[in-house]
Amino acid sequence: MKKWLDERLQTNALLDSLFSHPVPKQSNFLDYLGFATLYVFISQAVTGILLATVYHPSATEAYQSIKILQSSGVGTFVRSLHSWGSNFMVILIVAHLLRVFYEAAYKRPRELTWVMGGLLFIATLGLAFTGYLLPWDQEGYWATTVGTAMAGYVPLIGDFLVRILRDGTQVTGATLTRFYSIHMLVLPLLILVAFLPHFFFVLRQGMASTDELAQARERGEDIETRSLPFWPNVAFRMVLLVLLAGVLLWTLSFVYPKGLGEAADPLNRNHYIPEPAWYFFGVYQLLKYFPGKLDIIALVGLPFIFFVVLFALPWLDRNPSRTPRKRPVALGIAVLVTVGLVFLTYQGYASVPKPLSNTAVTHPSFKNDVAPIFQSKCLSCHGTSGNYALDSYQNTLKKDINRGDPENSKLVQRLEGTDKPQMPLGQDPLSSAQIQSIKNWIKDGAKNN
Amino acid sequence: MLNKKNPGTSRRRFLGLGISALGSIFGLSYVGLIGDFFNPPPLQARTLQEVGQVTDFPLHQPKLVSYKGAGIDEGVYVINFGPEGWLALDFHCTHLQCAVTWIDATQQFVCPCHGGIYDLKGNVLSGPPPKNLPMRQIKIQGESVFVGG
Repeated sequence: MKKWLDERLQTNALLDSLFSHPVPKQSNFLDYLGFATLYVFISQAVTGILLATVYHPSATEAYQSIKILQSSGVGTFVRSLHSWGSNFMVILIVAHLLRVFYEAAYKRPRELTWVMGGLLFIATLGLAFTGYLLPWDQEGYWATTVGTAMAGYVPLIGDFLVRILRDGTQVTGATLTRFYSIHMLVLPLLILVAFLPHFFFVLRQGMASTDELAQARERGEDIETRSLPFWPNVAFRMVLLVLLAGVLLWTLSFVYPKGLGEAADPLNRNHYIPEPAWYFFGVYQLLKYFPGKLDIIALVGLPFIFFVVLFALPWLDRNPSRTPRKRPVALGIAVLVTVGLVFLTYQGYASVPKPLSNTAVTHPSFKNDVAPIFQSKCLSCHGTSGNYALDSYQNTLKKDINRGDPENSKLVQRLEGTDKPQMPLGQDPLSSAQIQSIKNWIKDGAKNN
Repeated sequence: MLNKKNPGTSRRRFLGLGISALGSIFGLSYVGLIGDFFNPPPLQARTLQEVGQVTDFPLHQPKLVSYKGAGIDEGVYVINFGPEGWLALDFHCTHLQCAVTWIDATQQFVCPCHGGIYDLKGNVLSGPPPKNLPMRQIKIQGESVFVGG
């Protein structure tokens, strides 16, 4: 069979070039992150096709079709794999990008590989964003409403951009159809078109980590002692990393299956408060540092600069050195941006209200029991400054709290509605258990405990 | 120009140009088709829909009415200002388009996401919203109230 193919297609020479090149002995697992990303993408393609066989892409049927899918164990598992897989894709592709940056592998002669990688990165974010809407639940509907609204901050053409994204002024059934076709056809095609050259360039040029060996071989040195053959030694390690990613993906999907929230309600009668997907927490948090008219910096300016620098990097960075020590500026900036993004993402994540306990606490502590209630129910309006703030113990005490006498504390009266207007404004009142916890805390003397 | 020494060049050039031109026209036509399909529907192109009778709307009381839109329930706040006229307000906050809620006690629209506050006419009072709540079309025909656009 092998001979038959080789006679017709000269496959042996091709396979030799793919599998027989030498790789340095200190081959690093981080150099295989791209391969792990490819595995997760294939998993996404398989689970995505399976989901497409049962999904109904229309505003009236999408939610119900996912609900039916969720009623079977295997269905839930496939959807969990796809949902967890999208997180894996984003994380692995960012890790791959950081590793390539650290190794300076984007420099000559691999500029085009880097640019194709940039396209793959954008397409992946696009897939994550468009996929969010498809189940047509509250989470996806409002995250998409807010996410597409961000495009409205682009100067001059902002409003038009939003209408293009939504195929109308609001997120409607037309938006769902648009996102579905982009998620299923446009972006996978873009990934294919960018991936083929990306992969071909790597095969043609070899990984950057093999350059030194190749040069040594050209000088006529004996590299036997310093190298491993790609096949089977290094290939085995690559497969090992993929297996590790696979086991992690399957375990997480099994232990933490993806749930399905309430059906999308474009009128939001139940006052659902939107929150972004975790990879947008960074921008979401950044918004809080750029108040008012400066929003545009966080929403448009910084992301724009980021992508321009990303694509122009091989030409912006003229330092020919690949040794980390000789690239202090490039690595310094990268560390700053990465730490900043991780910090913002964490801050954004921490500021999202956690589910509150539904039983009253008899002797509540301010820090553990009372402050979280304010955090999730009050802070979105009351903010962290000014006379209305409820973010700290000191600010909370300004709300006419009668230590030991909850009934005569204005805070409680406002929450119970005996003093109008009842808080929180425009949302459902706090549960009686939550109010009782606050009352118990005041009864105990409203201590900072 | 006809070149006697090498008469094929001119024809080859002509063919090359012609094929590139024809190819470009075809290529651009596909771009045009894509543009046409992705172009969003024009603003306020849809017909107005009836959402109730004049008597359903007490004075200065915003009421969220809903009607069938493009595959979803759409809605607007309708406010009756009596002799001053009527107002239909979009309920999406102009900051990042969370849904605002009318609070009777304070006579304000409040957004739960970042605390934007608007008055009865949709003017921004405080918070991050950059613009007032957008107005939608409203028409009173006889006793019936029509909104949309």
